[in-house]
Amino acid sequence: MKLSMQTRDDRLHISVDEPRLDAAVATAFKDKVREVLSQTEQPVTLDLGQVLFMDSSGLGAVIAIFKTLPKTRELEICGITPNVERVFRLTRMDAVLPLRLPVQPTDLTVPGDRP
Amino acid sequence: MMSCSAAIRQMPQPPHLSSRKPIFYRLFRADPVAVRSALMALRELLARSADEDAVNRLELALAEVLNNICQHGAGEPAARPTGSRQLAPMVHLCVARHVGGIACAITDDGIPLPIALLPPANCPARVQDKDMAEDVELLPEGGFGWHLIRDLTYSLCYFREGRRNLLAFTVPLGDAYRINCLPGQFSPNCRG
Repeated sequence: MKLSMQTRDDRLHISVDEPRLDAAVATAFKDKVREVLSQTEQPVTLDLGQVLFMDSSGLGAVIAIFKTLPKTRELEICGITPNVERVFRLTRMDAVLPLRLPVQPTDLTVPGDRP
Repeated sequence: MMSCSAAIRQMPQPPHLSSRKPIFYRLFRADPVAVRSALMALRELLARSADEDAVNRLELALAEVLNNICQHGAGEPAARPTGSRQLAPMVHLCVARHVGGIACAITDDGIPLPIALLPPANCPARVQDKDMAEDVELLPEGGFGWHLIRDLTYSLCYFREGRRNLLAFTVPLGDAYRINCLPGQFSPNCRG
């Protein structure tokens, strides 16, 4: 499980350097991010820009990380690729998690959308 | 025991669908690394011939089904006789291309699937659940798998034959996803 960390403007950026956030790595991902988070109290950005596939195990790990943080500590999840966005959307977690979604094109018809 | 390809032949489908050739077949013990390897091989195979959105939906639906087998197929450790060792279930995965969709059949020799999981069920979290939005402690960390499977597939059916589970479904291609997909369509025994 590869993560890379940077501090910019007093904010911790954690980049997930893996193409897949699936059941094979979900627990390692959760544990490693929690460990990193415990070392500072800075606000956090979790960058999923390199993650091309996420299943519900990966989603569960992201939710668990979100739940770990105290309410006073800001988390932002960014770099969400379309295939990962689908999982957040279909599970309604897009309404709950602090996602920074890419700007949508004006035509909102997405092939995966159901009326 | 019914083979995966025999199961796919028996899946309900319109008469005009003539191409029923399996395009992908794999046999493996259920564990997350083997699941990942199977899904990546399938993706590589389909990348050249199917639309990307359908491949993405197929991969997610299969991941959820196969993860469930990895997690629950061997049964609860407490339920096994003392000292017995339960191997992870052996999974047969078969995928075939059809007009309008990609048909999948998955069999495994794990414990029977709890039938209660199959009919349409609510997503663990809903936008209107204000309490959940306000209290993160209430957020579920699991239970999304079947919700996703039902959302991404149609003609979902399940039966138990002998010591094996068989689950079959179709992942629609492009337009079919919007037009034909009836969420929650379920038949407990599709052999008719």
